[in-house]
Amino acid sequence: MVRIKFLRSGGSFYENLWMAIATLRAHKLRSSLTIIGVVIGVWTVIGISSLISGIDLAVKREVESFGIRSIFIYKFDIGFRTSEPTREERMRPNLTYEDALAIAQLPSVEVSVPFLNITNNRWGQKILVTRAGKTSAAVRLEGTLPDYERAGVETISEGRFFVQYENDSSQPVCVIGSSVADNFFPYGSPIGETIEIGGREFRVVGVLAKREQFGGGEGSDDVNNVIYVPYNVARKLKPNADDVFILAVARAGYLDQAKDEITDLLRRRRQVPFDQPNNFSIETAESIVQQFRSLMAGVAIAMVAISSVGLMVGGIGVMNIMLVSVTERTREIGTRKAIGARRRDILWQFLIEAATLTGMGGLIGLLLGWATSFVIRLFLPSYVPLWAPIVGVIASVGIGIIFGLWPAWKAARLDPVEALRYE
Amino acid sequence: MLTAQVQEEIVPYGELLAQEAVPAALISMRDIWRTYQMGEEQVHALRGVSFDVQKGEYVAIIGPSGSGKSTLMNIIGCLDTPTRGRYWINGKLVSEMDDDELARIRNKEVGFVFQTFNLLPRATALHNVELPLIYAGVPAAERRERAKRALMAVDLADRMMHKPNELSGGQRQRVAIARALVNHPSILLADEPTGALDTATSREIMNLFERLHEEGNTIIIVTHEPDIAARAHRIISIRDGRIEKDERVK
Ligand SMILES: Nc1ncnc2c1ncn2[C@@H]1O[C@H](COP(=O)(O)OP(=O)(O)O)[C@@H](O)[C@H]1O
Ligand SMILES: [Mg+2]
Repeated sequence: MVRIKFLRSGGSFYENLWMAIATLRAHKLRSSLTIIGVVIGVWTVIGISSLISGIDLAVKREVESFGIRSIFIYKFDIGFRTSEPTREERMRPNLTYEDALAIAQLPSVEVSVPFLNITNNRWGQKILVTRAGKTSAAVRLEGTLPDYERAGVETISEGRFFVQYENDSSQPVCVIGSSVADNFFPYGSPIGETIEIGGREFRVVGVLAKREQFGGGEGSDDVNNVIYVPYNVARKLKPNADDVFILAVARAGYLDQAKDEITDLLRRRRQVPFDQPNNFSIETAESIVQQFRSLMAGVAIAMVAISSVGLMVGGIGVMNIMLVSVTERTREIGTRKAIGARRRDILWQFLIEAATLTGMGGLIGLLLGWATSFVIRLFLPSYVPLWAPIVGVIASVGIGIIFGLWPAWKAARLDPVEALRYE
Repeated sequence: MLTAQVQEEIVPYGELLAQEAVPAALISMRDIWRTYQMGEEQVHALRGVSFDVQKGEYVAIIGPSGSGKSTLMNIIGCLDTPTRGRYWINGKLVSEMDDDELARIRNKEVGFVFQTFNLLPRATALHNVELPLIYAGVPAAERRERAKRALMAVDLADRMMHKPNELSGGQRQRVAIARALVNHPSILLADEPTGALDTATSREIMNLFERLHEEGNTIIIVTHEPDIAARAHRIISIRDGRIEKDERVK
């Protein structure tokens, strides 16, 4: 058994721990009130860190489901935004179909396709989707090119994607998301069936595989509640629309190069003066996750603040209770000194008592934190990061030692004769 | 610099003197003073006490209340240090020891028995007796064994797992005596050990002390009861912080 020298002559660490637990058990109510702050502090650390880790993982998965080589290009800023587009943003020219085709020609780009969103028509009204008396306004409607299939974001589960010929000749065909299939075609296969979009009949040629998504997703938030139609057909449903979102996929290993090439190309095509910033945004899965993480840093700081306040309150409570305890046990301290306890033995006894007190608070906080993370796991792929319980335990025990130091020192310095005479 | 030099010259000389004078007795006190500062005035609880106690003696210290008996006992037991004077235990100069060394002496060389027992209320009799061994760093199993033996020696084998509040006054004092003896000290000190006990129990405890003395222990006991003092072999009378009389009675 490893024993550290300074612990040794004070009996053993276990001896002190045993005495500390016995003392704390003798004052259950007082002890539990004292450690509430520490419990809350550690609980916050564990609970919030598991929440953050859960959201982080969910966001990462979802963003990466669009492909880690994917590059998202739009005239407005993409990602987690907290404000409306600025005046400068609203003045930006649209990205165009031709921009998407030009990007496709770049050497480091494998695929580049435009998306024309026609969920709303040119007057801002929803374009409705109808079949057999059932109507929905919540379906996301996108016009794109057959090349989108090569981007690897979607998988066909049944039928096929539409082809270039169908786009070029504006055939009314569509590929539907799994939720649309479930909603409008609950019985039998949708392939070859028709569905009405904006008052026109479309033939379903393919059904997409269901995509996993963060938080389930309902209605228009559901990534599977989508219909893709050929780009040219979308243009007809929403004439004069040319507000294009571009998805490009870099060749393997060329993500950064592709980003640079696209940026250069778009700056040239959009005639951005060399001393001006981009008037479009270009993001990757990684950069969007990064954006999200800087957003989460704020939450993390709030967590640290709450838990430090909890720990400080706990610490002051512990100091107070330990001072009371030292006074109450003056005779005991005198007795211990009379039979051979040295200053450091008494110091250790009280430090270990304080650390046991806060350590128990930490342990309770840990259990509550784990329970919380269990609840969070019902909604998010949450886990408790390894550092959180380690920090929680170290912080709670550390608080006991720091705030227990003064009371313990007071106890250690007591004069044995006076301590024994204390009533 | 000058003072430092002076001290360097004086201290070794002083130690030389002390070394020459190292007494052979178990306890040896030379001109012990204990002075309390009470605001402006000084209270001399002890005014130059000198005496020796040999191994195996049974000494009673008597004197009126406030005469300095407890002060003297606390100094003998190394709970307190003299303001002036020299004090040796087993030839070791205690009056100049630091705190840790004093703690060691209290742990190993002396066993202290108090009027009010001073047991830890939440600990069992056994654990109370183990306590000095804990501070001596004795391993748990040996500790338990020795504590049990000490309790048997005071006829408390059947009360080991009782807490102090489950024991009578006499039993508590016997636990305290077991605690004082468990580390085989050179001397057993008892400051009015029967002060909180009735007559019958007092007699019982005094019989125990007598037995312990017969077994070879050196004992110093403070009392103000003449019939208790009469059981000792030597009586030191104290008055106003001075030894008034020091006589062998047996
Ligand atoms: N801590 C102290 N401060 C001041 N005076 C003290 C202190 N302890 C003892 N005294 C004084 O020293 C004297 C001797 O006390 P003590 O040794 O307790 O006497 P005894 O035990 O013989 O009754 C008394 O006058 C007492 O008031
Ligand atoms: Mg007294």
